[in-house]
Amino acid sequence: MDPAVLAIWVLRLLFLAFLYLFLWTVVRALLRDLRFAARLPVTELGRLVVVAVPSGDPAVGSAFRLDAVTTIGRDVNSSIVLEDDFVSAAHASLTYRGRAWYVEDLGSTNGTFVNGVRVDELSPVAFGDELQVGQVRLRLERART
Amino acid sequence: MTRVQPRPRGRELGLLVIVGLTLLAGSLALGATERFHLAQLEEQPGPFELLGPAEPTQLLIFVGCLFAAHLALVLSGRRTDQILLPTVGLLGGIGLLLMERLPQDLAGGLGGLAQTQLVWLVLCVAVLTTLAVAVRNDGWLRRYKYTWAAGGVVLLLLVFLFGREVNGARLSLAIGPISGQPTELLKVILVVFLAGYLSENRPLLVEESTRLGPLRLPPLPYLAPMVAMWAIALGIVIVQRDLGAALLFFLVFLLLLYVSTARFSFVALGLAAFALGGVVLYAIFGHVRDRIDIWLDPWADPLGGGYQVIQALHAFARGGLIGTGLGNGLPTIGGQPPIPALHTDFPFAALGEELGLVGILGILGLYLVLIARGFRIALAAQDEFRAILAAGLSLVISVQAFIIAGGNLKLIPLTGITLPFISYGGSSLLANAVIVGLLIAFSERKDEPLPAVRPPGRLRQLVSRGSA
Repeated sequence: MDPAVLAIWVLRLLFLAFLYLFLWTVVRALLRDLRFAARLPVTELGRLVVVAVPSGDPAVGSAFRLDAVTTIGRDVNSSIVLEDDFVSAAHASLTYRGRAWYVEDLGSTNGTFVNGVRVDELSPVAFGDELQVGQVRLRLERART
Repeated sequence: MTRVQPRPRGRELGLLVIVGLTLLAGSLALGATERFHLAQLEEQPGPFELLGPAEPTQLLIFVGCLFAAHLALVLSGRRTDQILLPTVGLLGGIGLLLMERLPQDLAGGLGGLAQTQLVWLVLCVAVLTTLAVAVRNDGWLRRYKYTWAAGGVVLLLLVFLFGREVNGARLSLAIGPISGQPTELLKVILVVFLAGYLSENRPLLVEESTRLGPLRLPPLPYLAPMVAMWAIALGIVIVQRDLGAALLFFLVFLLLLYVSTARFSFVALGLAAFALGGVVLYAIFGHVRDRIDIWLDPWADPLGGGYQVIQALHAFARGGLIGTGLGNGLPTIGGQPPIPALHTDFPFAALGEELGLVGILGILGLYLVLIARGFRIALAAQDEFRAILAAGLSLVISVQAFIIAGGNLKLIPLTGITLPFISYGGSSLLANAVIVGLLIAFSERKDEPLPAVRPPGRLRQLVSRGSA
């Protein structure tokens, strides 16, 4: 075979080989990343991040992991206990129903607000929305994966 | 102002080295083939006279740019994605190789096709890096979604009023010396608007209140934007005669609706509306009918309407499994390649011929990597808006790649849109650079504060006091 033709053949195959080397490296990195993410416990369906709290407790920026049914109140048996004078013992509940989060006021004295609007009945909350319970403001965020 | 600490990005560096080697191999193969053809006219050349890359300065500038971008990202110290930049770099580099290989007088005002493409690629990398380094906040996208949408509609109107007609489609808009294709920008605006709208109204869209036979629908007022989108897509077909953009917008809209609500009924309804619109347009508008007829049977008019499609099919056939080699395919007819608009609409066919099935599968793999990364970023996003935005941005690129690759392969009717990062053209490159730049910026992982340790409640305080 003509050496010139052979040289061109080798270069062509080299190009394709490098292309697939790139893909192989990337796919391996992607798989490793996915396996790593899969090992992390993903029990949370969402999280509530503290935006503002007058008493400074819990700290602003800290997050509560949410179960499918989460109750908020001053009562120690609530899933999320908020020590605030304006929070009722059983204040509100957050429930995950099928595809979305809903908030329900449990007959609190001072009301529950979603983005500044008082909610009276079961109403949907989107990720990124802000809940106000008593004087505590909380933001609903997606679970980290 | 917090001090910025450089953060090494080892994975990105490693991948960029592979990108550099791939492009070097491609350039050597192209250079050798070109020299071989030149030397063959005189005598049989030896293998060593053939070695040398084609257009080494262009290659050097492009790869140098990628490494400079890498350096900028390292210095910015952000924990962002490390896979997108090398993937885009490889796609852009393959596009550059293709432009170097085509006749230089096809297009481009800056000294030839490849040189113009190189200028755009450098700008594209610069835009991508700037966004990836600088964008930290998405408030400016989130807050003004209706303003963005209004801007998009104005852009569409401007094209309608002042657009230039090229090949029967009114696509490009020229303002003074600068001309561009606004639909490329429009696709970014569309995703931003949809992400804002869907993230805000998702809980309401998920709620069921209307039933239509077996389909469960959202409350009817929330269907209004869906109908509006459908109307806009049809409007683009009628006004701009741009089937590709219409298809792209509508598909991305439906996919995003599904991504954010997980409701198949929306998609079914959207597809039904699309089919209905398609049938009506087929009946009324000639250019739609032409495209479909050519798709169904290009051999009905092999030298006229079906010419491009037939030539593309022949190109794929000549390519076979591993292709004819860079620089070896597509015999030029009278100094021009056999397929008109090869550099914009048919790069996939050209690559199919020169790199073969193996090569184009690899290139499709690169687009898959883009979408896989985009969806991973969406999954890790902290709120709905960013999640839908990331999913939408990566969907735009991959759906566009699918539409034009499918059109080249006669899988779906051919529409004139660009193959992202490979096709010749500034608007397309810049719009896609904006998309990937935003994706990288929003992939940042922040060291979040750990959940605070809960102080013991009153009950536990009592218990511990009792035991003390």
